[in-house]
Amino acid sequence: MEASQNPLEHFALHRIVELHLFGFDVSITQATIMGWLVVLGAFGFLAAGASQRALVPGKLQSAAEFGVEHLRTLVIDNIGEKEGPRFVPLLTTLFFFIFFSNLLGLIPGMYTLTSQVMVTGGFALMVYGLSVIVGLRHHGLGFFKILTPPGTPVLLYPLMIPIELISQLARPITLAVRLFANMTAGHTILAVVLGFVITLPLWAGWLPLGFSVLIYLLELLVAFIQAYIFTTLAAVYIGDAVHLH
Amino acid sequence: MPHPEPPPDPFRQGLSFAARIGVELVVSTMVGTATGYFIDRWLDTGPIFLILGVVVGGAAGMLSVYRSATRSGN
Repeated sequence: MEASQNPLEHFALHRIVELHLFGFDVSITQATIMGWLVVLGAFGFLAAGASQRALVPGKLQSAAEFGVEHLRTLVIDNIGEKEGPRFVPLLTTLFFFIFFSNLLGLIPGMYTLTSQVMVTGGFALMVYGLSVIVGLRHHGLGFFKILTPPGTPVLLYPLMIPIELISQLARPITLAVRLFANMTAGHTILAVVLGFVITLPLWAGWLPLGFSVLIYLLELLVAFIQAYIFTTLAAVYIGDAVHLH
Repeated sequence: MPHPEPPPDPFRQGLSFAARIGVELVVSTMVGTATGYFIDRWLDTGPIFLILGVVVGGAAGMLSVYRSATRSGN
């Protein structure tokens, strides 16, 4: 991070390779390259963890096994024994991609992929769209019973249906905004606090520097928690579509 | 190397829960308000649907917070 005055500057995208395809701007930005690095990182971590297949796992293998096994139980707990295993690969991939983009974004000089609302919004729409498709496949038009919780008197339908509709519509947006806002806010705070280090005189400048280390540690925790929440809620939404309440 | 740990301890579970519900309340109200605003613009009906949208959106937000609270309880 340079001594720039604007703490939001490092979120801006810069075209590195100009590319136009069928009238769309598909230029390669630092986010694109970051995406490749994230895929490489996540794949490399899991491939290295799975390569040895030792009976007594090493550090890397136990970390990878631990992560995958835990995600498997998380998904099956939320979706169910029968339908759950089909969604394990997708949601595990999603978790590791988000976790690695949060984590690699914390390395100075790297770009945080999840600080783009387009990226998180894309994931959220994908997950929510999938939950609607799963619901329609399982229940047909009965899926729309999700708008009337069981035990609702018919008199209250005019009130409950708009409320449920809005809470359904809010789902993909909350999913996207939560991840994007958390990552953007964390990096902005880091940039602001690090800006203090440069602008303050030397006798006071060490204070925000120490503070930024604490925030950095908090961000490491947030990087994990946000990826975990995204995966949990994705599983919860798909589980809701399978079970209808 | 990164180490994705599961969150068995109550502190982290509480933290992840707290990080979840705030956004739900805000976004539901916003969606309700925006829906009301656009219905008003479409039907040209003054602020009726806007006001209704704020109330219904807020109710939806509270409902989803209540839902996630009761879900994490059991």
